[in-house]
Amino acid sequence: KTVKPAKAASLARGLPTRRRTCRGGAAGRSQEPEVPSAAAPPGKPADRNSPEFPPPDRAPGCWATDAATAAGLCFAGNKPGVAPTSGAGNLPSRPPPLLSPLLPSRNPCPWHYLHLSGSHDTLAPTCFKAKLHRKRGVLPPDMASTLTDSTSRAPGTYTYTYTSRPRALPCQRRRYRDSLTQPDEEPMHYGNIMYDRRVIRGNTYALQTGPLPGQPDALELQRQREAKKRALARKRAQEQLRPQTPEPVEGRKHVDVQTLFDFDLEVTPVLEVLVGKTIEQSLLEVMEEEELANLRASQREYEELRNSERAEVQRLEEQERRHREEKERRKKQQWEIAHKHNETSQKIAARAFAQRYLADLLPSVFGSLRDSGYFYDPIERDIEIGFLPWLMNEVEKTMEYSMVGRTVLDMLIREVVENRLYMYEHQRDSHPSPEPEVEPRGPEAMRESLGASEFLEQSMSQTQGLLLDRDDLQRTTYDESSSQERKLMEQSELLGQDEETARRESLGKEELS
Amino acid sequence: MAQSGNSMELSTNINAAQVTTAYGHRALPKLNEELQSEDLQTRQKALMALCDLMHDPEHIYKAMNIGCMENLKALLKDRNSMVRIKTTEVLHVVASHSVGRFAFLEHDIVRALSFLLNDPSPVCRRNLYKAYMQLVQVPRGAEEIISKGLIFPLVRKLQGEAEEEFQELILDTLVLCLREDATEALNSNVVPILKQKLISTNENIRSKAARALLNVSISRVGKKQVCQFDVIPILVHLLKDPVEHVRSNAAGALMFATVITEGKYAALEAEAIGPLLELLHSPMTVARLNATKALTMLAEAPEGRKVLQVYVPTFRAMEVEPHEKPHMAEALQRAARIAVSVIEFKP
Repeated sequence: KTVKPAKAASLARGLPTRRRTCRGGAAGRSQEPEVPSAAAPPGKPADRNSPEFPPPDRAPGCWATDAATAAGLCFAGNKPGVAPTSGAGNLPSRPPPLLSPLLPSRNPCPWHYLHLSGSHDTLAPTCFKAKLHRKRGVLPPDMASTLTDSTSRAPGTYTYTYTSRPRALPCQRRRYRDSLTQPDEEPMHYGNIMYDRRVIRGNTYALQTGPLPGQPDALELQRQREAKKRALARKRAQEQLRPQTPEPVEGRKHVDVQTLFDFDLEVTPVLEVLVGKTIEQSLLEVMEEEELANLRASQREYEELRNSERAEVQRLEEQERRHREEKERRKKQQWEIAHKHNETSQKIAARAFAQRYLADLLPSVFGSLRDSGYFYDPIERDIEIGFLPWLMNEVEKTMEYSMVGRTVLDMLIREVVENRLYMYEHQRDSHPSPEPEVEPRGPEAMRESLGASEFLEQSMSQTQGLLLDRDDLQRTTYDESSSQERKLMEQSELLGQDEETARRESLGKEELS
Repeated sequence: MAQSGNSMELSTNINAAQVTTAYGHRALPKLNEELQSEDLQTRQKALMALCDLMHDPEHIYKAMNIGCMENLKALLKDRNSMVRIKTTEVLHVVASHSVGRFAFLEHDIVRALSFLLNDPSPVCRRNLYKAYMQLVQVPRGAEEIISKGLIFPLVRKLQGEAEEEFQELILDTLVLCLREDATEALNSNVVPILKQKLISTNENIRSKAARALLNVSISRVGKKQVCQFDVIPILVHLLKDPVEHVRSNAAGALMFATVITEGKYAALEAEAIGPLLELLHSPMTVARLNATKALTMLAEAPEGRKVLQVYVPTFRAMEVEPHEKPHMAEALQRAARIAVSVIEFKP
């Protein structure tokens, strides 16, 4: 019969749960290796009766190949791989695919049973290597008890039917498999029932139902046996190919006792370190983040307050600036006004002064101009300049004429007188006839000397007339001449009077004018 | 992490990128050496380990002492993008601590990082932006970024990056840089770009852009530019945004922009008073504060004063409003008092 080692499930539950199912086996076979059920008991509390770890089930055989994978499985994760199908009375023994080719050894040792929990499997590799055949005595006495009472029985009651009838089991068992080529199938030795693999211990909640109900079918069993034989042969062939470390010398082989391995105990510190480090690292990172976040939050708050304060400050600044600018502007305006005002007053003052200064100027200027004779009556001036000089000239001329006339007359008279005298003197001597010569001479001379004066012409004509008369009156020449003289004198007086009247008239005209 | 080596067979190397760090205080020096190794794998593994270690500030300090930073700087120019990504990640973590920021400043890492602004790998750039963002959390860091003249490239990248996450990160950086010194940003034409971002669909981007504008308009030149580019109507529009913090930031930006007369009248024309009054009842304290201040600014203009005279009772109610944080309550009360005094001012 082959033992199907079951791959166990959870790492965490270090529970040894051993099942023993009685395999339906050939009645003849005494050794019925137990079939361990793989499932961890559902809901079974973590019973750590682990100090006495029952020895992991070792089917003698090479579990070496499983070691690595199992280890990998173990370290890789804790997965409750096998959920026990609770409720079902069946205990599925899930032969792991890896282990399936491994034919369970026909281990004579009834103690060999697989640990059902996965944790055992993890340690299995190391343990598997060694042949962990425990001395019977080594087994803790209460293991059985633990085994027995550790169950929460499944609600359904299981009735045991023996696949093989209980019988006394051989006590001696081989510790190690001396040679790998040894067939697995070896007669099981009788031993204590308590340590019989085939007896179910522990939770029978999910039991493997192999050929459990009823009698095993012989044919089926045979088939199974052959299959197992074949698997084993295959395994052996493979193993032969693989180089193995040579088995230790007798006596130096690893003893079960020394590697009594309490997984739960051993795993704690490792686990603590692992988990602890991970958590520490993550805590560190989280704290970092949190610290940063807190820091940032408080910074932000502060910044906001500061911003609002700043805004206030800026507003006040701005206000200040506006006011200041306004002030500046107004001041400037005022200054300009004042300046203008000043200028204006200055201008006014200057104007007033200038006005006053120049006020006298005009009359004085006019006065001085008037005084200098720049203002004149044009008619008056004209008369003054033009008329009067002319008048004076004319008056002068006229007076000159009259003077000349008188002079001429005087000359005439003188001549006449001289002539008369001559004549007189001559007459006495000769006949006097030159009068008419004298007379035309006389009027011509008179004409020449007198010019254009009408009065003079008049007088001339009168004189001529007189003279002519005198011709007639030659006899009376003396008288005539005297009368002429008298008439000339009268005429000249008349002339003079005429002249005087004329002058008086002109003067009068002048005065009138 | 080191694995417990109980098994006699070597366990399969599940995490190929993980390297065993040496124990205790030998960890960092060893990693430092590995960083310089020729083998790509080693470098990558070392970087990964460094990432984890750098979360602890003490390690950062130690790393600085042994000259890790120089190696990291050299690795920034590595050809392999994974190396660059990891390096930038390490630097990002380093920048989150103040010791790390100090390291940044000392070793001139900012400039070395700036060469990666145009890196093809987006992850690398993301880490870069994150690193910058962490750096500018302190004023000294912001100064550093400004002094290295990175504002202009960052502004350009803000326009250029299509990815919204990147835009958010850059905006974060810019917000804090603008708080320090806005002149260079103003010279690089940041206001129109921010104006575009204000109407983005992503609410975070809107909110951050509004905050950036807030910081821009603290300075006088900024205020003038904000008015000049007609941003105020958009800000007023954002006052009616459904998201609370967008409204709050928009109110803050308005608060600063309306200090100058131009801004006041622009806001009055855009009818900002209504939404601001609504904001007075917002749940966010900061929104209320900003709105109060903005209304105070508007009340200085005669038109604003006329409108707000009706609402004086609201402000009076605010004066006596309690708040759980005493300084906030005090600030709110003071703001309300000032607002009332401004509204009731008679020349």
